[in-house]
Amino acid sequence: MIEFDSVTYGFDDVPVLEDVSLTLADGEFVVLAGANGSGKTTLLRHCNGLIEPDSGTVLVDGRSVAEHPIAARSSVGMVFQHPRDQFVAATVGADVAFGPENLGLAREEIERRVDAALEAVNLSGRDGERIDTLSGGEQSRVAIAGALAMEPTHLVLDEPFTGLDDPARRSVLERLEALSRSGTGIVVATHDLRDVVGLADRVIAMRDGHVAVDAPPERALEGLESFGIRVPKLKACDTGER
Amino acid sequence: MLTYEPDDTLAHRLDPRSKLAVQIGFAIAALAHTTPAGLVASTLLAGAILVTTRVPLWRTLWAYRFALVVLAAGPLVTMVSLGSPWVEPSDGVGPALASYRALLVLLVSAAYVRSTPIRDSRAAIQRTIPGKPGRLLSTGVALVFRFLPVLQRDLRTIRDAMAARLGTERSALERASTIGILGLSRAFTRADRLALAMQARCFSWNPTLPHLSFSRLDVPAFVLASALVLSLLV
Amino acid sequence: MNTENEHESVDLVDGTVVRQFARAALLAALMGAAALVTIPYPLSPAPVTLQVLVVFLAGLYLGPLWGGASIVLYLAAGAAGAPVFSNMTGGPGVLLSEPTAGFLWAFPIGALVVGLVVHRGLTLRDPADVPLPIVVVGLTAGLILIYAGGTSWFAWLIGTSLSEAAVTVAIPFVPADLLKLAAAVVIVRSGTIDTV
Repeated sequence: MIEFDSVTYGFDDVPVLEDVSLTLADGEFVVLAGANGSGKTTLLRHCNGLIEPDSGTVLVDGRSVAEHPIAARSSVGMVFQHPRDQFVAATVGADVAFGPENLGLAREEIERRVDAALEAVNLSGRDGERIDTLSGGEQSRVAIAGALAMEPTHLVLDEPFTGLDDPARRSVLERLEALSRSGTGIVVATHDLRDVVGLADRVIAMRDGHVAVDAPPERALEGLESFGIRVPKLKACDTGER
Repeated sequence: MLTYEPDDTLAHRLDPRSKLAVQIGFAIAALAHTTPAGLVASTLLAGAILVTTRVPLWRTLWAYRFALVVLAAGPLVTMVSLGSPWVEPSDGVGPALASYRALLVLLVSAAYVRSTPIRDSRAAIQRTIPGKPGRLLSTGVALVFRFLPVLQRDLRTIRDAMAARLGTERSALERASTIGILGLSRAFTRADRLALAMQARCFSWNPTLPHLSFSRLDVPAFVLASALVLSLLV
Repeated sequence: MNTENEHESVDLVDGTVVRQFARAALLAALMGAAALVTIPYPLSPAPVTLQVLVVFLAGLYLGPLWGGASIVLYLAAGAAGAPVFSNMTGGPGVLLSEPTAGFLWAFPIGALVVGLVVHRGLTLRDPADVPLPIVVVGLTAGLILIYAGGTSWFAWLIGTSLSEAAVTVAIPFVPADLLKLAAAVVIVRSGTIDTV
């Protein structure tokens, strides 16, 4: 569970987040909507202590992120925009192993986690391949596997569809849906709601550093358009069953 | 281009540390013995190493062609003097032999490159150099392997874009500085994203060490390496 | 689920260090990529690359420590077989016996010296704010050290005199390297790149 309590954060005296309080439950699939500059990215980076709030607290599983950054970072896996710039090794397996290696786990446990993470993103047996030779969608999924190898309870993705063509986008969505079904909490920040809303339990929309909407998708979609968010027709977003 | 190629040669089965030991031993021995007899011995050993590692000789020589030009230039420069007798071939003999042994060391190094995946080199660094320097060096080497093709593509894009905008008519200074600014700012943008991703995955000073272990095959390799170093005393 | 003590032994790398290190590693990769960027140059049998410019940038934008470390990473990756040396070669033998390997060995020292002069110590400042003469002195000092390294290595390896070595591997390249020095100055004056 991730809990924000009155979180306020500013950058160069410009407020980015103002008094944000919310709770993200285990297993929930949350879509975080909002235009560029609405505070989505800043909010997400508080979940694992990459940014510390000016005031307020963030707790992961009841423990302060500021005091327990390692616990927070292994419980909340994070995948950023531009997966290509997030890899630390030239081959798939070596990259996915990076997180568990940092935690000092035993070799056998690392291998087990790498296999499991690659299986979860439909890339089993591809660990010896060079990342550079993979397609954009495959690279996104390797980045997700890198986060999953930490065995997080939540997976947080910031604009995961940027630069992906439709088939690649669908392959990522499918994997998120499967992960969600197996109990991992998912948070997807995006300014482009196509398809993904159909998977969500809850839509949170940010505007000017505030939570402006927090509701189930069918109710949340009304009125989102006025925030500069591309709202799909409900029919188009109903891709939950595939 | 010389790179690692998966194969099942003797060298592929050796621990990277014993290969490095042989490489360094060979360099020391070859650079120390410039007598014709020493060079014959070095040639035979280099030949044996190349054959057992299945290094393609001509392709390797071609890869090092510019080094060969510079190696050839050395003896030529020493033969020429600014005054009578202008050209003195015997002055070039020493440098020519020296150039030849340098070439042998380069060729032996191709055996290391062909038989050692980056994973092994990285493990060797992390297991040989203790503490924080070893951690940064081994991770950094992996990052260079990872980002080299990405940045090569960046630089190519920058040059193509410049050429498309009448870049060939610009001065050399303008072109060099534009490549420098765009190349470095793109690299730094990528680095800042990478830094966040590494932090999110708990980049730590004390990770699980990579697996690496000597086998019985490595014993003769170390004996060879020691013999080569000891040949200094002969 | 994580217990209270499970991660006690994990020693996280500090955020600023991660950022400097990532920049140093990417600059090392840029150094390798620059081996492919050649400028036409009639005085040399081998292609002239922009690599010396990257050495300058390492000292200017990463400072003495991380700038020098960055070039060390470049050398280590090359020794491990990455095709980052001239004409896309790699391998330990290049550092051990390439006739021009002295330049490679001198590169980290060059970056260190540029960084020390320009930043006047270990704390980084914005190179655009440093008086121009100091920048030029720093770059020139770095370049002289690189030439010293390259020339003496060649003389030792091939057994020529220092002046013969200079004629072969250094003097023909002076105009090309002065161009790169000027390019580094242009980059600094443009003020478009930030330090960490």
